[in-house]
Amino acid sequence: MFNKPSYKLTLVDAAAMALVIAAISFFWNRMGTTLAYDWHWEAMPQYFFFRNDEGHLVPNILIKGFFTTVKISFWAMGVAMVLGTVSGIMGARGSGFQRFISRVYVESIRNIPSLVLLILFYYFVSSQFLDLLGLDTLLRLQSATVKKAVSLVWAGPGQINAFFSAVIALGLYEGAYISEIVRGGIQGLPRGQWEAAHSIGLPGINTFRLVILPQAFRRTAFPLAGQFISTIKDSAIVSVISIQELTFQGLELMAATFFTFEIWITVTLMYFFLTFPLSQLISYLEKRSAPV
Amino acid sequence: MKKLGIGLMVVLLTAGIALAGQTGAMLTKESIIEKIQKDRVLRVGMSTFVPWAMKDKTGKLVGYEIDVAKKLAADMGVTVEFVPTAWSGIIPALLTGKFDVIIGGMGITPERNLKVNFTMPYEFSGMSMVAHKNKAAGFSKLEDFNKQGVTIAVRMGTTAEAAAKRFMPKAQFKLFENESQALQELNLGRVHAVVSSAPMPAFHALKFPNKLFVPLEENFTKEPIGFALRKGDYDALNFFNNWILVNQASGWLKQRQSYWFETKDWEHLVQ
Repeated sequence: MFNKPSYKLTLVDAAAMALVIAAISFFWNRMGTTLAYDWHWEAMPQYFFFRNDEGHLVPNILIKGFFTTVKISFWAMGVAMVLGTVSGIMGARGSGFQRFISRVYVESIRNIPSLVLLILFYYFVSSQFLDLLGLDTLLRLQSATVKKAVSLVWAGPGQINAFFSAVIALGLYEGAYISEIVRGGIQGLPRGQWEAAHSIGLPGINTFRLVILPQAFRRTAFPLAGQFISTIKDSAIVSVISIQELTFQGLELMAATFFTFEIWITVTLMYFFLTFPLSQLISYLEKRSAPV
Repeated sequence: MKKLGIGLMVVLLTAGIALAGQTGAMLTKESIIEKIQKDRVLRVGMSTFVPWAMKDKTGKLVGYEIDVAKKLAADMGVTVEFVPTAWSGIIPALLTGKFDVIIGGMGITPERNLKVNFTMPYEFSGMSMVAHKNKAAGFSKLEDFNKQGVTIAVRMGTTAEAAAKRFMPKAQFKLFENESQALQELNLGRVHAVVSSAPMPAFHALKFPNKLFVPLEENFTKEPIGFALRKGDYDALNFFNNWILVNQASGWLKQRQSYWFETKDWEHLVQ
């Protein structure tokens, strides 16, 4: 990445750089004069960590929101992987009816805005099933240690139903895209792979398990990793159903303090801090594994 | 094959609707008072409204509403659990059982009352306004704002939105999901004024004295504020009503009200 030949600065590059610098200074100038925005960056660190009465540093709402975002994205991706793999295999190799089911799933999800899907799911589906399960009541009866462990992995009793609705809805949504990735990965394999497996006498299921899936996995690994980054970014929409993730915590904080710009910028950087290293890692691995 | 798929969907949808009706019935069958006692927790739906309810520097909820809900829970001998909810979805969330009661500075209106039950008012609020010094220079009456070309920002779905539209039908409106977004729009000078429940407009004008001012001397509406709960639960309604009555008589509500609405002693908690 760093040992490329050094560039010569052309006139076009210089013009582009001048434009960028002009745009940034124009923005700062407007912030300072026209808007007379009162910056309070010094207030930000306390929303990450604060000292409690015993003098220990404790994570505050932005950090808690950050980890909730990570948890939601992780579990939603798990749900999406299972749904997407099953639906993708059905779509690629299933019977006519299985292909039909897979199509219905993929097309209906891909043609609904994620926000609408989430709200529908939260108010209608999850009230009928998750709330009836009574997970929150069950969790409240447990000991403090169990509660702590569950809230570390998922969420506390007050949030658990909403948390699972968010995970399932987001998982359903991302699953449709994964289904297409998996289907494409399987269908993209040359016919010769199937024919060769048949000719050496492998039964259908073993052809699939030993020949097709490992190759399909190699082809889909990077698009899937990319979908994980999308999941992290898409997870911001669950703020509308009051999951206390990063965007929701940011909005709450803004409503209380009116430090609008500082908080939006901080939240943006926190998302970037999460997704940028991941996407760098993926492109690094992709380069390394590329066939020479 | 397609017919089978469609048939399957119809069956699933019908089952879903039947179940939805059933939960609705189940939620009202047992009084929430009993459920609260059994679960030992009172789940309160609320939304951030300064100084009714807001997060303090350590991430804890503070505010007038929070004090009320905490004392209510303590008097019932249970713990309180707050469910911060987006304001535009707070009534659907109550109806689908995401929490037991809304204690969220909710103004009692006939439209809302058709969907939920309200307790007697535990507080009266009124609509007030904060305006931009340059954009609304010289404006001092509601009539000054009731003109074409005047833009007013309000929080969506609030009684502020309804009151502003009733008193200033000729003005244009910009609706926001959160109060802070409406105020940001005002600070940027893109709207003439923000309408919201007192005392927030006055507090905000104090914070930016060079830019903003309070054009009207008095609130232009008076609004009763009550707890909202699901319809059909008269035991809970009776309990909450009498809790309010007792705490009004003892002066406790008045005392908390003056602390949050008439002083700014609490400001160091938040910033």
